[in-house]
Amino acid sequence: MVMTPDRGLGACKEFEQDLVLYHYQECSGGEQQKVESHLESCAACRRFLAELKNFLPATVTTDEPSREFWQSYSREIRAKLAEKEAETGWQWLASFFRPWPVPAIATAMILALAVTLTFTNGRWPLDSQEKPEVLEMAADADFFESIDFLDSMDLLEAVEGKEAQTGEATPQHL
Amino acid sequence: MLSGRPEEFGDEELVISAQQGERQAFEVLVERYNQKAYRIAFDFTRDREEAKDLSQEAFLQAFSHLKGFDRRASFYTWFYRILVNLCLDYRRRKAKIGWESLDEKTEKGDGFEKIPHPGPLPDQQAMRRQISQRIGAALETLPPKQRAVFLLKNHQGLSISEIATVMKAAEGTIKVHLHRAVMALRQRLAELS
Repeated sequence: MVMTPDRGLGACKEFEQDLVLYHYQECSGGEQQKVESHLESCAACRRFLAELKNFLPATVTTDEPSREFWQSYSREIRAKLAEKEAETGWQWLASFFRPWPVPAIATAMILALAVTLTFTNGRWPLDSQEKPEVLEMAADADFFESIDFLDSMDLLEAVEGKEAQTGEATPQHL
Repeated sequence: MLSGRPEEFGDEELVISAQQGERQAFEVLVERYNQKAYRIAFDFTRDREEAKDLSQEAFLQAFSHLKGFDRRASFYTWFYRILVNLCLDYRRRKAKIGWESLDEKTEKGDGFEKIPHPGPLPDQQAMRRQISQRIGAALETLPPKQRAVFLLKNHQGLSISEIATVMKAAEGTIKVHLHRAVMALRQRLAELS
């Protein structure tokens, strides 16, 4: 039978807290000795301690749910954890599109461009020692044209020489 | 990656594995501590559904912040702190919303009917139930911090220094809270009887 505390009976005021701690075995060595020697001579404090021993454990209420409860508990928590994991993955991806990274990335890009232009004296892209092949060919186009012309002249002269040797007149010469 | 049965691994190995992205390792930790977590939450809520929600929320928060857990304390100590803080927040929220009157709660029984009470005789059973209801009602009247300290000490058996760590308070403050909680509870029970 659980004893309910008696409102009228109490412990000595100066020992009250120590008696509570004594009940929970939280007194240091010196305090414990002090409480124990006081208890030997004080009936009210002995009664108070007995009361604590009686009613404090009775305040503990336990709940023992069924096996079905625990099965459902496990199912629910697994589903919630999976959901949380997926949510965390998306949050990581979405973090790149949050307001702060956008200006940060833009600033970084502008800085990179400014540094590049500063160190290249505004020449961008950098001058290359090797000119593209197609430009060289374009520059030498006249030369190639004159070579072609000379080849044509050689061919004409060769044809004329051959005709002179055989004594035949070409229709062009007629 | 864990090779073998995950249930056979220690907490630290499971935590490392979970930190590397293995959700199954964390699920083993949940299975290992869900009953303890539920009981703590039940002490604070005295309601089965709310205790379930609170304890599950604590696991979810632990899972979300697992990468930041430096493993200096044990997983359970770290998790315990998350859970107790959630329970304290729950009490604060409840306190803000406002409680029903004590008399009304005592009349309704406040969910204590769900709790099985052992006892061979119907008279004894009824008496125990009545006492449990009174105790529950008396606990409800305690201020949140006193109640938390009392539950952690009386129900969970934590030492004063452990409670001080969990609640981030000085040991002297915890002792004062405990003393006041016990005295208020004693007074309230005397009044109810």
